[in-house]
Amino acid sequence: MTGVKRLTALTRAGVMESLQFRLGTAVTLFGNLIYLALVYFLWKAIYDSCGASEVNGMTFYDTMIYLILATAIFNFLEMFIIWDMSRAIQSGEIIMHLLKPMRYRKYTFWSYSGSHVISFFLTFIPTFIVVMLVTKGAIPIGLNCVFFVVSLVMALVINFNIEMLVAPICLYTESTWGINIVKETIVLLLSGATIPLAFFPESFRRVVEYMPFRAVYDIPLKILLKKDGTNSLEGLLPMLGIQLIWCIVLTIAGNLFWNHAVKRITVNGG
Amino acid sequence: MEKKKRGFLFYISIYKKILIQDLKSKMSYRADFIISTFGMIMTNLSGFVTFMILFHNFPSINGWDYYHMLFLYGFSLIALTPVQCFFDNNWNLRFMVRTGDFIKYCFRPINVFFYFISEVFDVKGLGQFAFGLGTFIYAWHHIGIPVTVVTIAQALLFLLTASLFMIAIMNAAAATCFWIINSGYVMVIMFRFKDFAKYPASIFNGVFKFIFTFLIPIAFVAYYPSLVFVTPDSVPLLSWLSPFIGALFFYLSYKFWMLGVRRYDFTGS
Amino acid sequence: MQKGTDLGAVGSVPTAPSQEEKSMANEVIVMKNVSKEFKVLNRHEGLKGSFQDLFSRDYKTVKAVNDVSLTVEKGEIIGYLGPNGAGKSTTIKMMTGVLEPSTGDIQVNGLVPYKDRTRNSENIGVVFGQRSQLWWNLPLIESFKLLRDIYMVPEKDYKDMLELYRSLVDIEPILHKPVRQMSLGQRTLSDILAAFLHNPGIVFLDEPTIGLDVSMKAKIRELIRGLNEVKETTVILTTHDMGDVDALCKRIIIIDEGKKIYDNDIDHLKTYFGSYRTLRMRLEDGSWDEQVIDEKKTDVMHVIQETQKKHKIKDIQLEEISTEEVIRKIYEGSKAS
Repeated sequence: MTGVKRLTALTRAGVMESLQFRLGTAVTLFGNLIYLALVYFLWKAIYDSCGASEVNGMTFYDTMIYLILATAIFNFLEMFIIWDMSRAIQSGEIIMHLLKPMRYRKYTFWSYSGSHVISFFLTFIPTFIVVMLVTKGAIPIGLNCVFFVVSLVMALVINFNIEMLVAPICLYTESTWGINIVKETIVLLLSGATIPLAFFPESFRRVVEYMPFRAVYDIPLKILLKKDGTNSLEGLLPMLGIQLIWCIVLTIAGNLFWNHAVKRITVNGG
Repeated sequence: MEKKKRGFLFYISIYKKILIQDLKSKMSYRADFIISTFGMIMTNLSGFVTFMILFHNFPSINGWDYYHMLFLYGFSLIALTPVQCFFDNNWNLRFMVRTGDFIKYCFRPINVFFYFISEVFDVKGLGQFAFGLGTFIYAWHHIGIPVTVVTIAQALLFLLTASLFMIAIMNAAAATCFWIINSGYVMVIMFRFKDFAKYPASIFNGVFKFIFTFLIPIAFVAYYPSLVFVTPDSVPLLSWLSPFIGALFFYLSYKFWMLGVRRYDFTGS
Repeated sequence: MQKGTDLGAVGSVPTAPSQEEKSMANEVIVMKNVSKEFKVLNRHEGLKGSFQDLFSRDYKTVKAVNDVSLTVEKGEIIGYLGPNGAGKSTTIKMMTGVLEPSTGDIQVNGLVPYKDRTRNSENIGVVFGQRSQLWWNLPLIESFKLLRDIYMVPEKDYKDMLELYRSLVDIEPILHKPVRQMSLGQRTLSDILAAFLHNPGIVFLDEPTIGLDVSMKAKIRELIRGLNEVKETTVILTTHDMGDVDALCKRIIIIDEGKKIYDNDIDHLKTYFGSYRTLRMRLEDGSWDEQVIDEKKTDVMHVIQETQKKHKIKDIQLEEISTEEVIRKIYEGSKAS
């Protein structure tokens, strides 16, 4: 099988596996909608209590849309890489994977891609539609959507690399939950997924903007919502540029670190 | 020789023995212990930072000011500790059920739910407890709630019964694995909902207030019990009833869990 | 025998039992016309099929156990055989009270296992193959102590049991080891010891020697035989290993496709197929030609002569048919019928 055929086959297998989850997909969607309600009520109360309609450049609608879509992106990006990997190591399965001709990193990325495709269509799109309906079309539809998808794909790559950088640490220290939760809290907080970066105190925000995390949530969302000057090409390109830089940097770093780590893991014998 | 029936005291003594042995052996996993505790601290810290950022921009929510919100926050952290510490094995349920390993819990003459749940005690939850207790006491002091035998007893009672609600939610979420494949997502969603337990349920209206009070009762994890202390002059009926409702929810979730065990085909192997 | 009193408890039977009562008292497991059906989703192929499955309600019924009746008497060691998927584990699960039969009756020690799971569990021990039932992180002795408390074993009985163990196997090296540090053989040994600890009337062993080396297998078989002799424990042994069967079982029950196809002594098995021989001939290229011959129907010499017409024979072995071969013949026979 040629390389492309192999990748397509993997994606296809991933799609089929995702479809097997009968009620599961419906559950995730339902859960998103409930979470949407929670976020809505909370921020409505917050904005009502403070009396102003705009805080730090974000209106109520802005904040709400931002956070809901952030959750949708979170579901889309979700990879149980670390958990699956640690299980594969414990059962010894990992040896089989590391012996496969295709490199394990690539294999991992593409075998999760199937579930990402499904996740995008079955959870992200419906969530998007619901938000549009509830807010009466507050999300601009146009070229920004195309750029958004591009941005999202890059966000996926960056997230994947972060996962693959953290995974070997987990396996080396044999502490999956602890490291994973630290990673998750840091990523979610500093990427603007928990609270939009716009609300961060000025000095704190400036520091955070130098980290790769904002490229996972903040930038794609800004592009979609046409915030912060991304409605013009001059504003847009630097954002995509930042993402691209992080993509490259993290992929290289990830590759190096991974190769080094694989040696360590196989030495330990699993 | 008639065998004594296995009563409440029996289960308590067995649990104590399992716990002591488990803790002894956990101490040998030092790296994991330290990292997990650190992870727990990070989660709590992140929650704190989020809280601070929020209050940096918005001084009050629905009439709840900084110290009252802090009280709610601390209360919820304490109430969320028992489910974290004692019922952590629920997260493993779906894997054991899928591989068929779960069957081993059904061969002994003790309650299957107890046997399963007693296997794991999560020590890092104690970090959350410390955080919560500190915040709780700090806020208690700043609000000026009197410290009497009555208020202390009330605190213990309401904290304990508030914890039953999250336990019930996670029991039910975990038990869905007997019927659906993607129960992991259900558990993750429910677990994320707990983050909203630290906000006053007064932000909800109508249908949603009903949902988060009686269906996925996160409002009872901190909000309703806290009212007993925060607004002692006008405590709604639901607050006083919360201990009984908590026991009921726990019982229902337990029955649901056991129903799954009975209906399960055990064809994992 | 409707009440669940311990068989053999002193003073539980006031008058001398009749012959029928005596044999009934000896029957520890009784299965009458037991069947078990499962509903399985009809899965379809391909991408489109997966989509259909999301919304389909198309189930088919699978009969895992089909009208099986059997009786087991106290103290027997029964070999419970059958190909994978034949319904063995399903029947065991019904006997241990984990599954409810779709039709038919089961009585174990006078109780209906599914209805009285807790009481039934007090008097059985189970080892389910690869999965250890002990606490992973605890030293073996601590697991024993916990089991002693869970089964409410009197201290004296517990100590006596440990003494018995010490006389049968060398348990000192593993007594203070946590299960997770044990080798497979040690783990299996521990699980079996744990299963017998509370002196149950019946012990179910599911593939206990799988994956073990020859010497460990011998040790395990010795242990099981020893415990069965001293404590009169009934043992239901599910296995694919004929060595287990030859060493331990006097009686074999064979299940295939949910039906019981053989239920008799192991000696009967041999006479059943006593005329069968395995003929092995070494050909000129070094390979061995193996044939099973029914001497009642075919003449061995004739086969050898026919083969000599085509090949040079370098060596001949003529053996009694192995238990394994016999069982395979029974499987084939049941498929043909």
